[in-house]
Amino acid sequence: MITHEEILNIANLAKLSVSDEELDELTKDMSEIIGFADTINAASADASDFDNINNLSNVFREDTVVPSYDREEILKNAESQNDGYFLVRKRV
Amino acid sequence: MSNYELVCGLETHIELSTKTKIFCSCTTEFGGDPNTHCCPVCIGLPGTLPKLNKKVVEYAIMAGLATNCEISPISKMDRKNYVYPDLPKAYQISQYDMPLCKNGYVELSNGRKVRILRIHIEEDAGKLVHQRGSTYVDYNRGGVPLIEIVTEPDIRSIDEAREYLEKLQLIMRFIGISDCKMQEGSLRCDVNISVRPQGTEAFGTRTEIKNMNSFTHMAKAMEYEVNRQIDLVQSGEKVVQETRRYNEEDDCTESMRGKEDAHDYRYFREPDLVTIQVSDEMVARLREKLPEPPHQKQERYMAEYGIPEADAQQLIKYRSISEYFETAIDGVQNPKVVANCMIGQIFSRLEGDSAKESFQVNVTPENLNALVKLLDEGKIKMNLLKATLEKMLDTGKAPKELISEADMGGVDTDALKAACEQAIASNPNAVSDYLSGKEKALKAILGAVMKATRGRADAVEAEKLLITLIQK
Repeated sequence: MITHEEILNIANLAKLSVSDEELDELTKDMSEIIGFADTINAASADASDFDNINNLSNVFREDTVVPSYDREEILKNAESQNDGYFLVRKRV
Repeated sequence: MSNYELVCGLETHIELSTKTKIFCSCTTEFGGDPNTHCCPVCIGLPGTLPKLNKKVVEYAIMAGLATNCEISPISKMDRKNYVYPDLPKAYQISQYDMPLCKNGYVELSNGRKVRILRIHIEEDAGKLVHQRGSTYVDYNRGGVPLIEIVTEPDIRSIDEAREYLEKLQLIMRFIGISDCKMQEGSLRCDVNISVRPQGTEAFGTRTEIKNMNSFTHMAKAMEYEVNRQIDLVQSGEKVVQETRRYNEEDDCTESMRGKEDAHDYRYFREPDLVTIQVSDEMVARLREKLPEPPHQKQERYMAEYGIPEADAQQLIKYRSISEYFETAIDGVQNPKVVANCMIGQIFSRLEGDSAKESFQVNVTPENLNALVKLLDEGKIKMNLLKATLEKMLDTGKAPKELISEADMGGVDTDALKAACEQAIASNPNAVSDYLSGKEKALKAILGAVMKATRGRADAVEAEKLLITLIQK
């Protein structure tokens, strides 16, 4: 079972605030998700079975420079910007 | 300190000198206006997909081979989750339980081995500038490829830590995968450190000092931290396991965060990237590419060419220098002469480390080679060699353009005697100074001889002859 404390800890790591009403709802949802994952765990599979899913490995890109985006494009969805920088609330 | 032993392990981050970032094709060039080396992938926009740069895998394998690591036939990428503005996706793509390389070592000059636990690849974070009550974010560095090299806690002194890091820097520069500039942040180091009473086995509680950006700071931070921990243990208090930072101004370390807020990274497999499989052929091909390791080169220079250790160290400091040296000594009788020319006259024309690193000098190694061969053939003497090298450094000309046929072949005994007698006759003051015990006065007379013979005379021979003639 997932506890309220675990939900609050995960929310804290993700810097999310959770109201009391949401807490019950999220705890229930998370328990269901974990339960679903347990179903997968019950399947008999070795971790190494996942090494080469779909016979795909080594999908690489060559080391060739492609021009970057215009800064205007890069910054256009930013909530706040200044001097070409993204601006966020001060963190230490 | 004497009753306690330091136990230390290092985590070193090295920026790879690929042209593009690890998961997108933006340039990795240092600097640039903020957010001009960015695209939707490296600013973490939803819906974008990473694509792994092949060169990053190759460079990391080369780093592993050069530090005696095993290369994992299968490895994968993982997400390391944490929320901080330098990381736009709120996770860093790194490697957790299946790193590319493991179980290597770097050998120190005292014969001890610092074991390398692992080397993995990951993306660098962006740069934050805190000012005017806000945080300014530049993602140019975000997504630049890094390798992280983690050692076992095998280091037992500050000197060993320094030597390990210097050696690592040298190796990575030689194999050409990074410029390893601490001041530009392309080599950064975290120090894990604890103390224990001499002769005991159990490790003490360790602290981690983050982000050392110079050798000097690392040494100072370690010294402070060791003394702090010894004081705590001796006064019966406990060392707290925590992350600390070095404060340059006050020369001390201070707490950043304790164990209670240690990061919970919730690693899981990166679902957007497939497995990395490294074949034996790929490893063999990359091993082939590795140059002779720098420490081996240094030993060879000392053993084969009789070059003193301090000089040999200078010659291997950068790959460009050793390449120059090896071209310049081709077919030369005494490579030591070449080494002396480089370390003496040529180095004095280069200001600072970056000039030595690029080793852009006016004299080609082929021209230096030709000059030293004139000495070997007895066509010029050492003093003319030195004077000519100066002219070559000034003009970039070949030795044959600067030394005429007439100047070659030295001076025969009669001509030398005549020049000496002439110099003595025309410098009576210097002669009497010399006779009254001022040995330096002889240099003035010798100068006159060299001038008269246009530098062709053998200075040692001329000096001997002058002394004989004066004392007659």
